[in-house]
Amino acid sequence: MKQFARLAAAAVVASLGAGAAIAEGLYTPNLSYRTGPFAATGIPLMNGQADYMAMLNARDGGIGGAMIDFEECETGYSTEKGVECYEKTKGKAIVTQPWSTGITLQVLPKTNVDEIPILAPGYGFSPMADGKVFQWAFNIPAGYWDAADMIVQYIEGQGSLDGKKIVFLHLDHPFGKEPLPLMESLAEQKGFELVPVPVGLKEMQNQSAQWLQIRRERPDYVVMWGWGAMNAGAITEAVKTKFPMENMLGVWWAGHDADLKIVGEDGKGYKSISWSFPNADAPVMADIKTHVVDAGNSQSNEEEMSGVFYSRGIIISAILGEGIATAQKHFDTAEIDPGQLRWGLENINMTEERISELGLDGMVPPFSTSCSNHTGHSGGWMLEWDGEKFVKVSDLLTANVDNYAELIASSASEYADANAPWPVNEDCEG
Amino acid sequence: MLNDIFVAPFVDMFAAPDFLMQVLWEGLVSGILYALIALGFVLIYRSSRIFNFAQGIMVVFAALTLVGLHAMGVPAWICILLTLGVMFVLAVVIERVVLRPLVGQPDIILFMATIGITLFLIGLGEIIFGGENKVMITEELGIPTGSVLLEPFGGLLILEQKDITAVIVAALLVVGLLIFLNKTRMGRAIRALGDDHQAALSVGISLQTIWVLVWFIAGIIALVTGIAWGARAGVSFALEVIAYKALPVLMLGGLESITGAIIGGLMIGMLEKLFEIYWGQPLLGGNTETWFAFVLALIVLLFRPQGLFGERIIERV
Repeated sequence: MKQFARLAAAAVVASLGAGAAIAEGLYTPNLSYRTGPFAATGIPLMNGQADYMAMLNARDGGIGGAMIDFEECETGYSTEKGVECYEKTKGKAIVTQPWSTGITLQVLPKTNVDEIPILAPGYGFSPMADGKVFQWAFNIPAGYWDAADMIVQYIEGQGSLDGKKIVFLHLDHPFGKEPLPLMESLAEQKGFELVPVPVGLKEMQNQSAQWLQIRRERPDYVVMWGWGAMNAGAITEAVKTKFPMENMLGVWWAGHDADLKIVGEDGKGYKSISWSFPNADAPVMADIKTHVVDAGNSQSNEEEMSGVFYSRGIIISAILGEGIATAQKHFDTAEIDPGQLRWGLENINMTEERISELGLDGMVPPFSTSCSNHTGHSGGWMLEWDGEKFVKVSDLLTANVDNYAELIASSASEYADANAPWPVNEDCEG
Repeated sequence: MLNDIFVAPFVDMFAAPDFLMQVLWEGLVSGILYALIALGFVLIYRSSRIFNFAQGIMVVFAALTLVGLHAMGVPAWICILLTLGVMFVLAVVIERVVLRPLVGQPDIILFMATIGITLFLIGLGEIIFGGENKVMITEELGIPTGSVLLEPFGGLLILEQKDITAVIVAALLVVGLLIFLNKTRMGRAIRALGDDHQAALSVGISLQTIWVLVWFIAGIIALVTGIAWGARAGVSFALEVIAYKALPVLMLGGLESITGAIIGGLMIGMLEKLFEIYWGQPLLGGNTETWFAFVLALIVLLFRPQGLFGERIIERV
């Protein structure tokens, strides 16, 4: 027993020592969710993020000479735990990655006080695009309203939407409700009927009632804002009710290979908009294999690494890496602080050339940010499930941001008024 | 408004009877699975007065063990036997390590212990199997996966073959359990322990054996439930939340009543679907299944605090 106690004590001391050794460098905590009902979608994303940062550390010695201290704090996708993680990590963090719209909304006011950038790639609160109001928040490279607009554009490409009926199947959660204002506005503009159908967190795997409603409504299209176990539940029910899969389209978080593998061939034709795409031949994949996988430092596997979500994790870390590199170059220092990273994230210029330099060929569309544009509005590709994997079925689609710029501005201003006094970036010219 | 509540839903039902049949079928499938989970709770409660918070994670753990073993190349039916073996070992370990040292402690302590078991199984499951969504080995188990299309009243009724299988297997399991509890020596011992702990012990019924047995039966129920739900939308830790749907079933049926669990499950399954489709979606924007069963159970509790089939608790002070 005494020996066991000594061993345990030694293990604790060793782990503390290891933690202290890692703690040097740029601390970029990730509020991850590898457990709980959303773990199935979280794990490949977290693995992609972690592997990219591990690759940069191993290959280049970090970014600009500073090692990346990429630490995960497990939230299980719980908003309460997410806030705890934020509080626990904010002390030395140069960024926070909240990984849920619910957590993002909770920490949004806190980051304004703590002056730490929130990086919420492809999620969070859509009006965060307005960098003048949300000076510390970024949803690069595209927001939910961009996704909704691109999906509607794609559907419109099949024929006029006037008189059509679209069911909006969504998680009954801040994430699921996020695109509703834009969808309602688009329904009015384009003359289609929008039928919102919510799915409760406890009903994600038993959506028979929702799909009975869809059968009764006889919609022309189903647009899905699903996440975690909801996606597999919805796609299984769609197959069961014989809904034409080619008329079912989802947001980028509803395009996970593992969810579609459950229905396999029956899911053929299902589509998902995406600002990322896996490319096994991209140089970054070879580097990750050499420096991380072969070194035994990856938690991923070959099947997962070929999927959409793992590659999206890589892109998310690459966006953060580019923000860090931009800031280091501008401020001529490796050890940047949160304020400097904010500047970096506001000045990303991800051109085709830069994407190629980073070894990310074909994996992300070009985009750029500014102090007033905290999203980048990269656009995306429509992906389709071919029975085994997702393939691109469209050229790059770009959101018609001008159409809802006013909605972004008014929603941002409404948020600022509701949370007054809310500091805005007066120096930002646009 | 009154028309929307009292007239329109019934007009809809008569206008599309095939759709009404579909709603009732979906409710029946959900209901029988709720009843199964509730049975797991009731069996353990009857024999030990423990409200087993771990029933939900046992569903996940059993399903994960099954698909995990199959992924290692073990034939499907051997996986079933091995999973049953794992659930038996789990029952023995829970009895020896958790329950036996807590004999005689207040009920709340035992309840807290089952929360501990839940957290332990979540961690163990994630370490062994990972958190990814896995495909249930439906076809490998010989469960048919097609649909039966019927045309009642000139309409369309879709019956998934795996749902039909789930209903039949669940019904057989319930009947088997009832026979076991009523006609066998061990079954009667479980009931005796539930009826009067002290009296049962005084006539030589072994508490330890019965606890292992009921936890093992709860494990079997968990496996069947895990296969049925997993075949619908994959096997992941999200399955755990399904168990919470059994709580209103227990409130409605009574925590000690096997009949109550069965009838309560079926009632809630069908009524929540009917309410959602004909009242919830048109009048309240949908997603009423999240709360309907709890409200129904609360209304029942107002009039029968012991549930529809529970025993009246009379305590003399």
